[in-house]
Amino acid sequence: MKTSVLRSFALALVAVLAAPAFGAAASRLPAPEKIVLKNGMTVYYLRNSDLPVVSFQMFVRGAGTAFAPPEAEGVAGLTAALMTKGTAKMDADAIAEALDFMGASFNLSCADEYAQVRGDSLAQHFPKLMEIAADCLTGPSFKDEEFVKERAREIDSLKSLKDNPGAAVRSYFRKAYFGSHPLGRLASESSLGKITVQAVRDFCARRFRPDHSVAAVVGDIEKDKLAALLEATLGRWANPAGAAPSDGIPALPQPKGRKLVLIDKPDATQAYFVLGAPGYPMGDKVTPQAAVMNTLWGGRFTSWLNTELRIKRGLTYGASSVFWTWAPGGVFQASSYTKNDKIGEALDITFGLLAKGGQEGFSADEIESGRNYIQGQFPPTLETNASKAGAYVRLAFYKLGFDYYDKYLAAIGKVSPAEAKAAAGALLPRNDYVLVVVGKAADIRAQLQKFGTWQEKKISDPGF
Amino acid sequence: MRKRIVLVLPAILALVLSLAASFRQADVKVLQLGNGLKVLLVEDHNIPNIALYTFFRVGSRNERTGLTGVSHFCEHMMFNGTAKVGPGEFDRRMEFRGGSNNAYTADDMTVYTDWFPAAALEAMIEMEADRMQGLAFVPEVLESERGVVASERRVSVDNNNDSILNENVRATAIMAHPYHWDVIGWMSDILSWRRDEIMAYYRTYYAPNNAVLVIVGDFEAARTLELIKKYYEPIKASPPPPPVTTVEPPQMGPKTVLIRKEAQAPSYMAVWHAPNVKDPDFLPLSILAKPLLDGESSRLYRRLVREEQLAIYVGGGVQETIDPYLFMIDVKPRPGADLERIDRTVEEELAKIKAEGITPREFEKAMNGVRSDFYMSLQTISGKANQLGAYELTYGDFGRLFTIMDDYAAVKIDRVKEVAVKYFTGNNKTVGKLIPEGGAK
Repeated sequence: MKTSVLRSFALALVAVLAAPAFGAAASRLPAPEKIVLKNGMTVYYLRNSDLPVVSFQMFVRGAGTAFAPPEAEGVAGLTAALMTKGTAKMDADAIAEALDFMGASFNLSCADEYAQVRGDSLAQHFPKLMEIAADCLTGPSFKDEEFVKERAREIDSLKSLKDNPGAAVRSYFRKAYFGSHPLGRLASESSLGKITVQAVRDFCARRFRPDHSVAAVVGDIEKDKLAALLEATLGRWANPAGAAPSDGIPALPQPKGRKLVLIDKPDATQAYFVLGAPGYPMGDKVTPQAAVMNTLWGGRFTSWLNTELRIKRGLTYGASSVFWTWAPGGVFQASSYTKNDKIGEALDITFGLLAKGGQEGFSADEIESGRNYIQGQFPPTLETNASKAGAYVRLAFYKLGFDYYDKYLAAIGKVSPAEAKAAAGALLPRNDYVLVVVGKAADIRAQLQKFGTWQEKKISDPGF
Repeated sequence: MRKRIVLVLPAILALVLSLAASFRQADVKVLQLGNGLKVLLVEDHNIPNIALYTFFRVGSRNERTGLTGVSHFCEHMMFNGTAKVGPGEFDRRMEFRGGSNNAYTADDMTVYTDWFPAAALEAMIEMEADRMQGLAFVPEVLESERGVVASERRVSVDNNNDSILNENVRATAIMAHPYHWDVIGWMSDILSWRRDEIMAYYRTYYAPNNAVLVIVGDFEAARTLELIKKYYEPIKASPPPPPVTTVEPPQMGPKTVLIRKEAQAPSYMAVWHAPNVKDPDFLPLSILAKPLLDGESSRLYRRLVREEQLAIYVGGGVQETIDPYLFMIDVKPRPGADLERIDRTVEEELAKIKAEGITPREFEKAMNGVRSDFYMSLQTISGKANQLGAYELTYGDFGRLFTIMDDYAAVKIDRVKEVAVKYFTGNNKTVGKLIPEGGAK
């Protein structure tokens, strides 16, 4: 309804929902059937006729933001967006009209390591949805006019983003942590301004290819019909000639010492921080121990971090931590916000808890609670067609196996206090980290001095 | 990162014509206890979890000056201790059993949302029943939570230009009815509510006769009913809360809100007084909103974002409320965009609908959208619980969920034009503009 004000603990739920790879518990992911198209593409399939709806998901390896050339940061996102803005058969308005008419959703977007294609529709409209999907993948027109519009829209969206310090601080952190590493390839006003339509065409031609794609369909559709539909749509997609481009990401940076960055936003009445340090790669053997540890440290409402900052002191509406993972590595990230005159106190408490995790560890009761929580919250993460389809492509992409969640949930159930303490000691940063604060510098500078020397930027400066 | 649960928007309302196969009114078991608590149960064994939603008929609509935001504050205090369960214990016990929870407060209702493994059912029912009657309001805890809510206001309104404009426009368009203020409440009220006032408010509105309990998921209905009786029947009913009697007087001329502050990009919104959810004009207006505002093929998106490139996005529509609220058109202008021109474009598109209505294809598209959104929302146990409870509170009858598409289907396309003429008048309009100043470019 109009304005909902939520009590909400943000990160815990989102972390579980958005990345079931961290989740855990009783309802397993059913093994999918496999359909292999003549062009070599694999599509995983599960029938679900509970409701007359169907979901489609696809990952395209090597077409994510990290694969933009250094001189064209943002080209991946721009390419994905423009692929639905006109093809040889339909112009942008016709595509939008066809999708809206069906009440269907369809979008192409970019994660770091892959481009992601998602579509949902009523079962009766699914063939048309796949027609449009195939059309966008095989014959995007990248007209100049659409390119200019979309680029301008993205540039303006980035400027608007800076009016929202909670969102902006994440981009500033990204840049500060990763620098010139491919995971730091963020679109900015200036980088987008330099991209040409030819760069978009080249990125699409080289990087969007069926032999780098894996897809899944879950919903109310029979296998034979689906197989024929997929062959007639995605099956038209041919692999480009020549060798495939690289699709790996180099090892992640390992910050040494403290890197402190302050972004001055003169009208801010709260100060927002993100602190990050090295984590672990997707599917790493430490995942269960780290997940239990993080759940207790900052991953749920009663976590240490939220308890100290919000529940006990009322300093903030939300405080949380998460592990982000990619194939070659990961990042631990803690974040919160508080009014300007309390940022020093909030950071002191955060650093105290980071030290406590490795020194004192967690009680047996806490560990049991963390294990139960992860397992109990897992089933809803795979409840919908789209979330099952997403799980199939994610597990296939990272080569984790469709029994990954079974194994993971079992491992969660065995995490011991000693293992969680060891994970805290290894993964919660003490001396080596990147810390970014967005706030009103005049009000908070003095409180921040004790943490070290800060690089300072203005939020109105271009880029991150 | 908040887990945002969107209450039944008009868009999510139903097409029940072919819904029968999956989710029927007969699947909903209904019980009303002697103390007035209404209970809706739906067994759904798709996953081994349960969604337990408690709806209270209280929101910012029930507040008064000086106590704005107190409904939302009670929501926060519901996690902060009762005589039996200490501050923070609700969350600790729930998480220990593998559950999580959230809550939201809106203008018309406050909703507590619990998601947990089936084995935690009795413990959850016991704790929910406990906090319906015995909140402690420990003074130190209350003060700490006041700080949390002040932080929430700073992050959700004071540091967000679109929200600042929204709050100002609402307060300008609506002068008498409590929809005048935002759910979060004014900062000075947040900092000044007294404990005794908060407690009196809680006692008035948090009572079984003012609540609806909805449980959907992996349980056995007969046993669950026994548990509900065991824990909820001892709770006494309260005197019925006072009705909201203030009626917003008709607006007598156009209003404008102008805000100047530091910003990278301007903001724009326009609102018109609109009918409540039960009014015969409500469905035609909600149908109108789709071809006007919803999706990249909508009229305003095409003009403002695609053709004239004045904006980044366009949104809005009519809201399901117990009392008359607003039809909103929310535009995010590009930095430097001419807000007057945006306003003229909005008026031009409305004028076309007032003159010609919408096309049969647009009408069909709106229906497809409604239907698709509806099925998507029923994929989860929490979606079902939320829909049932919200219908029960806003329409006074959860059964409306299963029939409303008949009403949608019965709307004659000419009605869209009629309601456009009736509501989109100059005298009924409030327009808001936020203009960047200072360090902005």
